[in-house]
Amino acid sequence: MTERWEVSARYPGAFATLAEVWQYRRLLRFIGDRALRRMYRRTVLGWLWLFINPLLPIALRAVIFGGLLGAGSNGIPYFLFLLAGTVVWDVFASSLLWATRSLEMNRDLAVQIYHPRAILPVGNMTPTLLNVGLKVGVLLLAVVFYTARDGRLYLRGDIGLVWALGALLLALLFALAISFFTSIWGETARDIRFALGQFLAIWYLLTPVLYPLSQVPEAHRWWMMWNPLAIIVETFKWGLFGIGELYADALSVTAAGVFLFLTCGLIYFARSEARTVAQR
Amino acid sequence: MSEPAAWVIAPDAREGFIGRAREVWQYRRILWFFSHKAVQRLAAKTHLGYFWVFARTLGPLAIGSFVFGSVLEVPSGAVPYFLFFLTGQIPWNCFDGPLIRGSRGLEGNRALLTKLYVPRVILPLGQMAAGLVEPAIITLVYIGSLVYYRVNGGVWHVEATPRMLASAASVLLVVAFAFSLTLCTSVLQARARDTRFALRYVVTFWMYFTPVIYPISLVPPGIRWLVYANPLTAPVETFKWGLLPGLEHSWGWFAYSVAVTAGTFALGVWYFARSESVTMDKI
Repeated sequence: MTERWEVSARYPGAFATLAEVWQYRRLLRFIGDRALRRMYRRTVLGWLWLFINPLLPIALRAVIFGGLLGAGSNGIPYFLFLLAGTVVWDVFASSLLWATRSLEMNRDLAVQIYHPRAILPVGNMTPTLLNVGLKVGVLLLAVVFYTARDGRLYLRGDIGLVWALGALLLALLFALAISFFTSIWGETARDIRFALGQFLAIWYLLTPVLYPLSQVPEAHRWWMMWNPLAIIVETFKWGLFGIGELYADALSVTAAGVFLFLTCGLIYFARSEARTVAQR
Repeated sequence: MSEPAAWVIAPDAREGFIGRAREVWQYRRILWFFSHKAVQRLAAKTHLGYFWVFARTLGPLAIGSFVFGSVLEVPSGAVPYFLFFLTGQIPWNCFDGPLIRGSRGLEGNRALLTKLYVPRVILPLGQMAAGLVEPAIITLVYIGSLVYYRVNGGVWHVEATPRMLASAASVLLVVAFAFSLTLCTSVLQARARDTRFALRYVVTFWMYFTPVIYPISLVPPGIRWLVYANPLTAPVETFKWGLLPGLEHSWGWFAYSVAVTAGTFALGVWYFARSESVTMDKI
């Protein structure tokens, strides 16, 4: 009696994909490491970029926007205000940019060994966590410095910190959700990456990182609050310093939207991975 | 029986600044070809084509003027902030675009360099042309919005005066400065990839330290000289002074910027020529 073999493509569902990513979690470190090396290859300053990249822009922006242009900061030192906003923004923007490149960067890996494709965007995000950790460290140092200088503790010590952490997580998940789309598109079209960079530059200006949402004229505030990042950033600063306000309604809409979007992203990714891998 | 002719294999007599300049002139049709190709490449392989070039230029203009004008309420003197913002963007983009694109000139044509001879400087020069597309688009928007303010507000914010010549001179100075820097950066970028990251940072922050989005009068008088020490400040300010009413500027600092540009140009030419013979084979 002969055995019948059937060879067919799998179309795993969204949650099966997630479970598989979890099974292969040990690959995450490898992929993150690879991404880091790849990024700083053939550069003169090399690993120094990891430090220059996040810290220099903050200092310069603080001088221009806080000092010269006099942007508001809800009553705390502007540097602290900017630093907190930048932490959230960078969690979002840099993990999105890195994750978008993941499929394109690891093309060779895809034909060599089997791994769930969805692990690539997740793995490519890990280097940015290093970056963010560094910034959180600077943030804590700054809090200590300003506390010593002004004799006033800017940091909230209560449940607010949990909200701040939740906001960070939400930003990360939102970036992941978007990258499930953009990494698929970016694998075949390189201009997605450049377009995304330019898009993010505009998005940054529209997100209350450089200025508080309360400084936006009343007439424009309603549409700016449709920007999920605006809500996430404001929540983070509210949770951390107790400044601004918690837009509870908008936050719940944002959170629900992010989770919905993440599910859509997973489904899209799971459906396209079989197609894109076959095409190469 | 005569002696067999001796063969001497020596590099062409292309040495010296004049010799090189003449050579570029001889190859001008190739320069035209490269510029054309660089402009085409702006829209090539994007799904939206030239529409994308416009969208990419106009998006930041709209959002930037909203954020800086309405949210941060940067003062703009007698004219609407949008107009003030656009006036600053034109000279700035004449610097930023040519510099960033020109710097890719050597790196992007690596394959070509090993195949045929063209005067090397043609490559960054040709790429620079692509960087001038954005300021051209902004100028169109500028003219459009002048007409808009004429129709709706009943005033021409810009009047045709001989001062406009100063604006034209400023743009030329800015482009010349961008070219002088490109001579250095294009070589550096062909050698080290992080020049590109570094350049992007430097240029972004250079803009904030140049009175593009704010007038120089916002800077406290005590440290104004520090802002003027930036060679781009004087041309940008002079450009705005030439078009808009009620702004200040200083010819003294303009002369300083001309001197800095001349110095940078000399340095750039020297560096480019020196690296040409040494490193072109290595890249």
